[in-house]
Amino acid sequence: MSKYNSFLENKVMPIASKMAGQRHLLALRDGIILTMPLIIIGSLFLILGFIPIPGYNEFMASIFGDAWMTKLLYPVGATYDIMALIATFGIAYRLAEQYKVDPLSAGAVAVSAFLIATPYFTMFTPEGTEIAVQVGGVIPVTLMGSKGLFVGILIALFSTEIYRKIIQKNIVIKMPEGVPPSVSKSFVALIPAVIVISSVWLIRIGIENLYHLNFLGKLGFTNTTSLHDIITLLLSEPLGILSGSLIGAIIYTLLVHLLWVCGLHGSSILGGVMTPILLTATDQNRLALQAGEELPNIVTSPFFELVFMGGSGVSIVFVVMMVLFAKSEQSKQLGKIAIAPSIFNINEPVVFGAPVVMNPLLMIPFILTPVVLTVTTYIMMKSGFIPLTNGTLPPWTTPPIISGFLATGSWKGSLMQIINLVIAFAIYLPFFKMWDKQNTAMEKGTENINVTKAI
Amino acid sequence: MNILLCCSVGMSSSLLVSKMKKSAFNQGIECKIWAVSVDIALKQMDKADILLLGPQVRYMLPQFKQAGKERGIPVEVINMLHYGTVNGNAVLSFAKQLYSSKEEG
Repeated sequence: MSKYNSFLENKVMPIASKMAGQRHLLALRDGIILTMPLIIIGSLFLILGFIPIPGYNEFMASIFGDAWMTKLLYPVGATYDIMALIATFGIAYRLAEQYKVDPLSAGAVAVSAFLIATPYFTMFTPEGTEIAVQVGGVIPVTLMGSKGLFVGILIALFSTEIYRKIIQKNIVIKMPEGVPPSVSKSFVALIPAVIVISSVWLIRIGIENLYHLNFLGKLGFTNTTSLHDIITLLLSEPLGILSGSLIGAIIYTLLVHLLWVCGLHGSSILGGVMTPILLTATDQNRLALQAGEELPNIVTSPFFELVFMGGSGVSIVFVVMMVLFAKSEQSKQLGKIAIAPSIFNINEPVVFGAPVVMNPLLMIPFILTPVVLTVTTYIMMKSGFIPLTNGTLPPWTTPPIISGFLATGSWKGSLMQIINLVIAFAIYLPFFKMWDKQNTAMEKGTENINVTKAI
Repeated sequence: MNILLCCSVGMSSSLLVSKMKKSAFNQGIECKIWAVSVDIALKQMDKADILLLGPQVRYMLPQFKQAGKERGIPVEVINMLHYGTVNGNAVLSFAKQLYSSKEEG
């Protein structure tokens, strides 16, 4: 065990520390968080639009008119549909903050740069015709949402890097003394902003020229007229495979839990990489739901709500066992402390209190259970027994069974969670019994010292 | 004494905060204790005398130690078992220890 521990401390910790401290990943994670409250609010309206009760649509139409759905979903269009815009600002802001340059200006410049990369037209098919026409003078909503997320991320990082480098090299307009600080501050941003915006502008002009010369077409990039098209081709689709497959989901689950058994916040460390991928997959389902099409993705971020119940490791079943069957004083006490947070998917009391961390006995079910449930949930969804997650994003603190319903918009989602809980229960039970026995033995051996007093 | 706790999103540490406050009240210790998420901990550090990290974010210790050094604020990771069992007493006395060693240093 000590060998294993020193391996963790010497090998895993530095990597985790580096990854978590990596400026760009950190900015990515903290910046994207800015979109979460909006998306959760959007979800609220989305849920109301798609309540799975027969006759609901007709009922709503009879009260609010035929356009009820469109009107109800206005907030969705201003939350989900602008996630790239918000994320661009958020990421640039957070990155600038780390470099200690003015975050607000950096955010504004990044948003501007993002829009420069975005062609201001959309394709529209007039009624009664088959041919789509190009309509100018609009900012295309589709590119402001998940479809533009990767471009937004890259531009936020790129533009803030240039921005801070120029400021740090002190190539700025300096105002004479006596000019109010806020005035001179606005001039500080000027030169770096010009450079950021010109570079993105040049990139766009470059891409458009290459397209017209049919250079991109020769490389196999047909129909790529903008940075958005290229990034989608190069990044979004390959990364989508990671989240789109069972193997990808299992690897993610394994990594999260391997980090947790080292006592590190797995999903937070991997967040910078995984959040944009999972969020994009989630939103693709939401767009399909609204368009009345078949949902494309099984693995989304709410998919993991169906799996990681009570927090990572599906530890809620373990806590329930403590409450119901514990014989040792320590197990009983921990159950009392851990049950309420567990219901809201907070499981640090279990992870550190049992502890699961570095515990050769408990880490087995802690890792095994979520991997098994990832497989069962995936298979049940793939075979059509359980509907896919529909793009709703319940807050991560939503208790299990409720979250399954919200994530899939169907009682079958809750059923899946109940099935998963039963499986988890079966896996955990023998380990719980051994653990509880260990605790009882320890308490008998140290009765006089009274170890539980501290609790 | 101002004690800042910090974990990934500030949820589980807020659980500990309420226990620590209770313990401080019982012992008649005057202090301010609050919890935040890692991304805003750096900004709130200036208001604190001590920063305690949850064990799940201990990979951030080197960065926070550095920031603490610049500000003269001791930064430590909370004992895993104390954190898990939400042992307000133990963590409070740990904080007191750090605080007094800071005063001496």
